[in-house]
Amino acid sequence: MDMRRSRFLFAVLALAIALNVALDAQTAASLAGAVTSPAGSPVAGATVSVTNTATGHSYPAQSDAAGLYSVQGLTPGAYTVSVAAHGYAAKTVSVTVKSAEPQRLDLPLAIGASEPELGDLGFSPEQTQGNPEEQARLNKRSHMLKIHQELGLITLAPMLASLFSSTGAGGRHSTASGRALHATLGSVTAGMYITTASFAIFAPKVPGTKPRGPIRFHRAMAWIHGPGMILTPLLGGLADEQRSQGQKVHGIAQAHGAVAIVTAAAYGLAMLSVTLKKF
Amino acid sequence: MKLLATLLLLLAPACLGADAQWMLEKSTLSYHVSHPLHQIDGVSHEARGKGVCQAGQCSFLIAVPVKSFTSGDTNRDLHMLQVVRGAQYPMVVVRFSLPEDTASQPVIHADLQIQFAGQTVEYKQVAFQQTAHGAGTEITGAIPATVSDFKIDPPSLLAVPIKNEIPIKVDVTWRKM
Repeated sequence: MDMRRSRFLFAVLALAIALNVALDAQTAASLAGAVTSPAGSPVAGATVSVTNTATGHSYPAQSDAAGLYSVQGLTPGAYTVSVAAHGYAAKTVSVTVKSAEPQRLDLPLAIGASEPELGDLGFSPEQTQGNPEEQARLNKRSHMLKIHQELGLITLAPMLASLFSSTGAGGRHSTASGRALHATLGSVTAGMYITTASFAIFAPKVPGTKPRGPIRFHRAMAWIHGPGMILTPLLGGLADEQRSQGQKVHGIAQAHGAVAIVTAAAYGLAMLSVTLKKF
Repeated sequence: MKLLATLLLLLAPACLGADAQWMLEKSTLSYHVSHPLHQIDGVSHEARGKGVCQAGQCSFLIAVPVKSFTSGDTNRDLHMLQVVRGAQYPMVVVRFSLPEDTASQPVIHADLQIQFAGQTVEYKQVAFQQTAHGAGTEITGAIPATVSDFKIDPPSLLAVPIKNEIPIKVDVTWRKM
């Protein structure tokens, strides 16, 4: 008896569900259309949200590559349709969905006034507009300073060789050939030094730039090794002349060695200041 | 009761129609450069930004002049300006969009579009920490930028180039207008 009753109840339930589904199918509606730009071209990837104003239930959709969207299974009633797409103004429209009818609602969008633009931020045109001439000046400056850096490193070689060769040029062990070698190396050093310095001196300047950081020390050292690099060969020449005449080096020529050492030290410090961290 | 209804009617359109706007109140942006002989941080506090929310979606824009980054050494900063083509492309522009409801989340993930050095590069799902400070919201994080992303020739010192990674630290405070 219970079995029969259960079967009956099950049959009634199944019938009710089937009836409900059939009724739903009869009353369910759909909404579809195209999301377009002001020029009429399709807007892909737009987020569409169809919300039943009575129940608050929302049906999301997204426009495809052709700008088309579609929402199925709507019950008849009043809806708000919201659409948002990158670069376009968000839009909300009201629509009444009728029963069992596929309804079309196209959504033309306006260009979004809501998208923040660079012009909104209050920068001056001088700040935001590119300046190819200034870029060219910076490129030339960097190129020349790179050569300055590389030549500066190379100049170290004859400079150190000059220092080492000084043992054969002065003091008790001084010989004519030793002095000649030292003078040659000194001349090469001076020549390379002048070339190196010229790439820094003639590199384009950037107006309004106040030097800060290690470069100030680097430049300060140049005021020592620069004059030193002029004075050293002059004093060396004088000392060589005195030696050649069989005299003992005397007078201002005696300062040749000291000036050379101070010059080389200032040069080394200048290099280290832009090379090592926290010099 | 009628008075209440009238007030609600008057207030409702104002609330519903109001799209939120955000302004960048303060900022610290810094890039980090690694070299065997140097660790360099270039810092700028001159970023400006705006956010506009509409239909639950907020679009943000941050821009900062390239030459406003300083590392404590004029010579190095000018060289940086040259290698990143900063005179030709003088601004770094960052755009991103977020759903409006992320404003209350402690961590947000944003897809960033960055225009820099004449290139436009996208970084997906970059994580930022978010902290509320009164009417302001502080956002901190790091953008995993690299020199090669922006087609920049890596500068070198003593013939040794810098590392490719140049992470950009972000610390910005937005205020809702």
